[in-house]
Amino acid sequence: MSPESLSALSLSIRVALLATALNAAIGIPLAYLLARRRFPGKTAVDLLVTLPLVLPPTVTGFYLIVLLGRRGWLGGPLYSATGWSITFTWYAAVVAATVMALPLLVRTARAAIESVDRDLERAAHTLGRSEWRTALEVTLPLARNGIIAGLVLAFARALGEFGATLMLAGNIPGRTATVPLSIYTAVQTGESGEALGLVALLTGLSCAVLLVAGRLGARLH
Amino acid sequence: MGGPRTTPQSPPGSARLQVAIGKHLPGFALDVRWTAGDGVAVLFGPSGAGKSLTLACLAGLVRPDAGRIVLDDRVLFDAAAGVDVPPQRRRVGYVFQGYALFPHLSVAENVGFGLRDRPKAERARRVAEVIERLGLGGLEARRPAELSGGQRQRVALGRALAIDPALLLLDEPLSALDLPLRRALRDELRATLADLRTAAVVVTHDFTEAYRLGDRIVVYEDGRVVQAAPRSELLWQPASEAVARIMAIPNVLHGTVVKATPDRIQLRWRGQLLEAVNSPARAYLPPPDARLAFFIRPEYVRLIRKDRGLADPTHHMNVMHGTVVEEMDFGTTWMLRIRLDEPGEPAQGAFDLEVEVPHLVYEILEIERDRRWEFSIHRGSIHVLPG
Repeated sequence: MSPESLSALSLSIRVALLATALNAAIGIPLAYLLARRRFPGKTAVDLLVTLPLVLPPTVTGFYLIVLLGRRGWLGGPLYSATGWSITFTWYAAVVAATVMALPLLVRTARAAIESVDRDLERAAHTLGRSEWRTALEVTLPLARNGIIAGLVLAFARALGEFGATLMLAGNIPGRTATVPLSIYTAVQTGESGEALGLVALLTGLSCAVLLVAGRLGARLH
Repeated sequence: MGGPRTTPQSPPGSARLQVAIGKHLPGFALDVRWTAGDGVAVLFGPSGAGKSLTLACLAGLVRPDAGRIVLDDRVLFDAAAGVDVPPQRRRVGYVFQGYALFPHLSVAENVGFGLRDRPKAERARRVAEVIERLGLGGLEARRPAELSGGQRQRVALGRALAIDPALLLLDEPLSALDLPLRRALRDELRATLADLRTAAVVVTHDFTEAYRLGDRIVVYEDGRVVQAAPRSELLWQPASEAVARIMAIPNVLHGTVVKATPDRIQLRWRGQLLEAVNSPARAYLPPPDARLAFFIRPEYVRLIRKDRGLADPTHHMNVMHGTVVEEMDFGTTWMLRIRLDEPGEPAQGAFDLEVEVPHLVYEILEIERDRRWEFSIHRGSIHVLPG
């Protein structure tokens, strides 16, 4: 395998792991709030998180540029203050993958949390637990299977992300060219052998993720 | 349970728990007021009457719109004063319908769940004590899924009792069990509650259960309290026809008043002149010709033996004649449905009275063969229901 392919693979795995970690940090609390709390703007939050699931990834990527690009709402002030922009860095690939994977985790985890019997939470409250402790000790452990399934889906989605990554991070070999982007480049430049290798690698990796997740799920059930 | 009791003992007879709350939900309004002393109070009534909602308010899981809840001089809730003690600080043990045991925790972890603030050694001692007390020894490491229904109920009770609650709430504690187990556990639960001497509130829609478990019964209907009384008073003196119907008392009938005195009430029903005892406690004096509801307990109707000659007016009163038109075998007793000889529409569809006789009596009198009977009802067994 060429050094370019290896670098693409290592980048893809780094991006997917980091995106999954960010998903866990943002998505699990968000899923809990959507499942258990009523708050103003809940419908809007729900819609915003879910949109990347139905929009073309390039559209999501476009919004990310509007938000984070050098002239973006957040990226603009940051660029003028520090001279640094996230676009065309590997962090941009992480952001793109995180946003694209988030709805999969949030929807799966939310359904799992909603299926936890509320009397269990009420029992914990009468036994002295705050809502926060109840979530940590009762609700989330009981929703564990659904949350893990959601994280696996999020990881797989992050690993395969293409469109939004291309928009925000570009396709710079050795810096932002993840495996899916490298496959595209290889096909475009006629290096079909290189493409085939990467395709096989990504397919194998995805199968491994699904098998491990299946085992894990079976053991937890 | 061992250990010093921290609950101040109220003087006997005084109310330990005072409840007066209102809560409006879409399509339902709860507006109840009752008190309970030491011992077990049962909230009894049909499903959807607001019993479980009341428990949730007592535990602080649902916030009432109005009213006050006072437990042992501790104000748990007061809408006017803005007091609402959160469930975490009410020290109220709650046994949920279906038990709500934590499925991912062992029996010992479930029982010890409410003791997190205590030192480890004390927690272990308390868990061991409760497990011993409820006969759960040997099951400490089991998960709830590996327990029988009766064991689950005891774990739920143990988990609620471990925190040494000032008040114990039980929501349909037996409804998740099979019938044979249900009877055994009902009596076991009664013994446990009597031993504890913790004030307890039990919700049930089964009158037998209410009567077995409760010292005092609060009857709910449609979000309101229709009667609150010691259990024997409720059994013999339901406050109204509505209460009698909720209790599923058979033979709730309607007659017209002929004459009412503080001792007796004469009434006309299906062409018969009946005489009933007026309740000395609450003498009820309806005017003549007023419509009057009353009930006759099926086990207090006496069939008159035909081999003993004519009915003796000094022993038998309220004598009637009728035919058995239907009978039901309940194993140890028979329920006979009797239609009076009087012409006209029977009082209860195809029959006028339900009469319960023990199996032995059924055989001795050869009721299977003989369908026409003369029977009598003592005046003390006709219970007038104030309107």
